[in-house]
Amino acid sequence: MSKKSSESFFEKVWKFFASLRLAIPVLIILAVASIFGTIIEQNKPLEHYRRFYSESTIKILSKLGLFDMYHSWWFLLLLVLFAINLTCCTVDRLPNVFKVVRNPKRTLDEGMERSLSLVHRWRKKGKVEELREKFASALSQAFAKPVETYNSDVLHLYAERGAFSRFGVYITHVSILIVLVGAIIGNIWGFKGYVNIVEGDQISRVQTRGSKGIVDLGFAVRCNDFRIEYYPNGTPKEYISDLSVIEGGKEVLRKTIEVNDPLRYKGIWFYQSSYGTAGATNITVDVRKKEDGSLIKRLTLLPNQKVKVEGVGTISAVDFDPNLQGFGPALRVRVEGESGQPLSFWIFKNFPDFDKRRGQPFYLVFSGIDEIYYTGLQVAKDPGVNIVWVGCVFMVLGILVAFFGSHRRVWLKLVPQEGGRVEVVLAGAANRNRLAFEKTFQRLKEELSKV
Amino acid sequence: MNAFFLKLAALFYLAGSLSYLAYVVFMSEKAVSAGRFSLLFGFGVHLVGFLMRYFEAGYTPITNLFESLSFFSLAVVGVFLVVERRYRLKVLGAFVSPIAFILILFTAFLPSEIQTIPPALQSYWLPIHATLLFVGDAIFAVAFAAGIIYLIQERQLKRKKLGPLMRRLPPLDVLDEINHRCLTFGFPLLTVGIITGAIWAEYAWGSYWSWDPKETWSLITWLLYAALLHGRLTVGWRGRKAAILAIVGFGAVLFTFLGVNLLLPGLHSYASFGR
Repeated sequence: MSKKSSESFFEKVWKFFASLRLAIPVLIILAVASIFGTIIEQNKPLEHYRRFYSESTIKILSKLGLFDMYHSWWFLLLLVLFAINLTCCTVDRLPNVFKVVRNPKRTLDEGMERSLSLVHRWRKKGKVEELREKFASALSQAFAKPVETYNSDVLHLYAERGAFSRFGVYITHVSILIVLVGAIIGNIWGFKGYVNIVEGDQISRVQTRGSKGIVDLGFAVRCNDFRIEYYPNGTPKEYISDLSVIEGGKEVLRKTIEVNDPLRYKGIWFYQSSYGTAGATNITVDVRKKEDGSLIKRLTLLPNQKVKVEGVGTISAVDFDPNLQGFGPALRVRVEGESGQPLSFWIFKNFPDFDKRRGQPFYLVFSGIDEIYYTGLQVAKDPGVNIVWVGCVFMVLGILVAFFGSHRRVWLKLVPQEGGRVEVVLAGAANRNRLAFEKTFQRLKEELSKV
Repeated sequence: MNAFFLKLAALFYLAGSLSYLAYVVFMSEKAVSAGRFSLLFGFGVHLVGFLMRYFEAGYTPITNLFESLSFFSLAVVGVFLVVERRYRLKVLGAFVSPIAFILILFTAFLPSEIQTIPPALQSYWLPIHATLLFVGDAIFAVAFAAGIIYLIQERQLKRKKLGPLMRRLPPLDVLDEINHRCLTFGFPLLTVGIITGAIWAEYAWGSYWSWDPKETWSLITWLLYAALLHGRLTVGWRGRKAAILAIVGFGAVLFTFLGVNLLLPGLHSYASFGR
């Protein structure tokens, strides 16, 4: 008694999780819930949220996990529900599909004859045995090689195409589970971090996001050089880092990385992600005569270092912008004349004559800077990523098979009649794209009536 | 030069929209062929403009709002011409060609100069990823139009008033069939588009999925269409429900394309780098 009721309870639970009535709400709830995380910025520091929300709102939002929504317990629970639903649906229906594919219904009984919409009958002179071969070869040519089954003196020919397409849906479903497994593996055994390396320096440890803290790479990465290439109009064209991998005191790999072209070593990827200046040394400024452009003096300056030039005044470099308003590298200089107000203004590396406009007997040219950059690298290890790609491949294949494949089945029944005649019954069915199959069926009808 | 072709295409799309509207109002068959030829010429001219820009710029011109709107409109017209050929649904033109015209009209308010392409977009994944998604989106636009026509037609049938519009509207089952076929082609394209985006993201940023608003909204769209698909194939959501979901789904498509960039500023920064 108790066993029976617990079984039926289990059955009820199973049916609930395997039902499509669950799948559709889960899909829609997942979609709607995902919206919140796009409206509320995710994973920002508390100060950031204080600018937009009151303390009490922040408390509520943070309780609901809305600041890291896609990793909150309730969102993960939704994903788990989604995965359980997918699994149960597949386990529930797949055996039946196997049965249909491996052991199709090879005979056309009266019930099917009535239920199928594509049925055509005609009569033909001759005996079943005589007509058998003709029909079989005609069917093979026009559609697919049939299987023959005798049921007393009635002959059934059964041919099918695209039986495999019945698996498309399940391939797709399983592929989503594979992607989820890959994502979980990546979350557990992988890490994502970020590191700044000043030119000439090397690092071997990376600060990661999440709970893993600082990760030791087991080797070191040195930034030999960082540079920016610009388009003629001054917008950045490429960010380039020259990196070396150092292991056991030796350089084992050297690669120049760019955005969209990362470095990989021992399963750890280094991506060009940002950059910054770590200071400047040796700024070169030329002082030239306005009349003929001849060089009065070439200055090598350190930031904010004042240098006196006879007849001109004291010159210092006070600010630098690698790309001021799209005009390329610019230097802000300060000139304290021997008399009068100190002046400060920008000069541009790409426009050497720019300072002539000041109308002084001399002008300043910004001719170079040895800037020390740091390169900002995203560092990632994800042992699950290949599993995700396998899932993606199956997803695409599964969807294509499920959407464009169709299991088309054709039955041909030869029933002996009195007077040396045979009744021919042709029937067909397709589980997808029925309109196209109707045309196939019409063609088959024509071909087979010629027999 | 490519901007000239774009303006010419816009004029053709306007002519196409007006012709198809004239068809609905006056029921003239001449208007239909005028509309069809306008769109066909517009598409040709637009395609030439696109190719010219491709060669002038040296990259696939789908990198900013101007270029994306232009390409989206091109894709909508292209998909419509295919669907029209297949189903001979003239009235669909009255709804789809204005969409294409409005999309291309917006480009008039945006800077049309060829810009330099930021480092993040210098990848061969750009043309693959963007083309797949915009063609998918264009298919969903046609499904959206079919959905709207469905609801109008159903309303008219329910009122049992044989309005002048009704005779021009196609039967409900044809509209439903279009809805279904669009889903059959749009959904795989959306799926492959998202996957190619993930591959590109993995290669460019080291993370195939980072719950960025653009990514998340594309997933939301995917989930909505997946729900529609399951409703259709198994619970028997036909007609009205499918039409409504096609309309909602296209709302999500538009939000993923435009809303994320325009209404959620500062969150989405594919093109920015380095600050």
